[in-house]
Amino acid sequence: MPSILYFAKEGGRVISYAVRAVAFFHMFSMNAFELSSTSGDSMLPTLHVSDDYAIVDKRHKYGRNVHMGDVIVARKPNSPESWVCKRITGMPGDIILIDPSRNTLKGLRDQVAENTTKIEGQEELERSNLNANFNNYVIVPEGHCWVTGDNLTDSIDSRTYSVLPMGLICGKLIRAWYVPRILSFKDQYFRQMDNTYCEENW
Amino acid sequence: MTFNFATIKYTLRQTAMFLSWVPVLYVINEHVTYVGIVEGSSMKPTLNPDSNGSKLDHVLLWKWGCKNINNLHLDDVIFLRSPINPETIYVKRIKAKQGDLVVPRYPDTRSRVLIPVNHLWVEGDNVHSIDSNTYGPVSSGLVLGKATYIIWPWKRFGPISGGGRECRKAYLERELPPEMAEVARMAKVEKKGKVEKVENKVEVGKKAD
Repeated sequence: MPSILYFAKEGGRVISYAVRAVAFFHMFSMNAFELSSTSGDSMLPTLHVSDDYAIVDKRHKYGRNVHMGDVIVARKPNSPESWVCKRITGMPGDIILIDPSRNTLKGLRDQVAENTTKIEGQEELERSNLNANFNNYVIVPEGHCWVTGDNLTDSIDSRTYSVLPMGLICGKLIRAWYVPRILSFKDQYFRQMDNTYCEENW
Repeated sequence: MTFNFATIKYTLRQTAMFLSWVPVLYVINEHVTYVGIVEGSSMKPTLNPDSNGSKLDHVLLWKWGCKNINNLHLDDVIFLRSPINPETIYVKRIKAKQGDLVVPRYPDTRSRVLIPVNHLWVEGDNVHSIDSNTYGPVSSGLVLGKATYIIWPWKRFGPISGGGRECRKAYLERELPPEMAEVARMAKVEKKGKVEKVENKVEVGKKAD
């Protein structure tokens, strides 16, 4: 019968190997690639609400070589323990309209108002309106970027917490993998995250 | 020295054993503790006091839980990733935390800055440092670690001392010497009286209309 010392030695060996394996896996997932599940509906047409697994390319951490239109994973500036997945819609030096969707309604109202007399003090009223903050423009400073979710109606993003320091970016999404459709081999069970950015010439 | 099969096998085995511990060291350095080297003069009286820059201070960094704002305290020296250029790392001192109203340094003393939730106001002990007076409050997610001990020049081994200026508006008013505090109080009372008078006037005017 083996002694208690034998069990201690073998147990130590197992623990030692386990620690080294976990550490190696962690190092790999911090610096090369990571498979992580995504949840939430802020990126809805691109990523599903749940059961969607994404491959994150960690070589793009700290915003290394990221471009306009890339889907990135970053820490939330106003709660660093939570991670967000958003699309870059503004790079340093760009001038950003904080919320274009609010401006469309205002534009409609302006078109109607062209033929009518303006009420005195209307502009001041609009300025005092809380929503007027969203009609402002922001210049993205050096080392920051502007991120928004693809689902603008249900996304907490740069419109709320303003510009995102690139130091908080931890990687770029390159592939996504929708688990419930893994056996159907139909549309989008394993798909590439494309850069949807295209320049518009006005 | 002989090169036979057994020697090569033994060498390879030892190398593999050594290399297999590298990831463990990496994880400890990344998440628990690390030795940080301070470059530059932005923390001058406290760190790197020599002007020639030949001796660089080495400090012990504590990284565990340092992104949680509850573990970051006022007057802690922190290493943080620069918000302007994410590839550089700054060493600064926390001078205000979330919810504080801050009076910025010289060029812009008129304005007041309210620190948002989970953000910090960091300043260098040297007046000529590039700090929150330039780039504003920083998110605590950019913090890499807390400098706890100076470990390299043996002469200055020990915990890092306090320093920097007070920049929170509430405490700037509180820390006046007694005579000055009395003057400030009187001035405030006068101001308040004036405001009340003006309000009365407005009310009278309204009634007249």
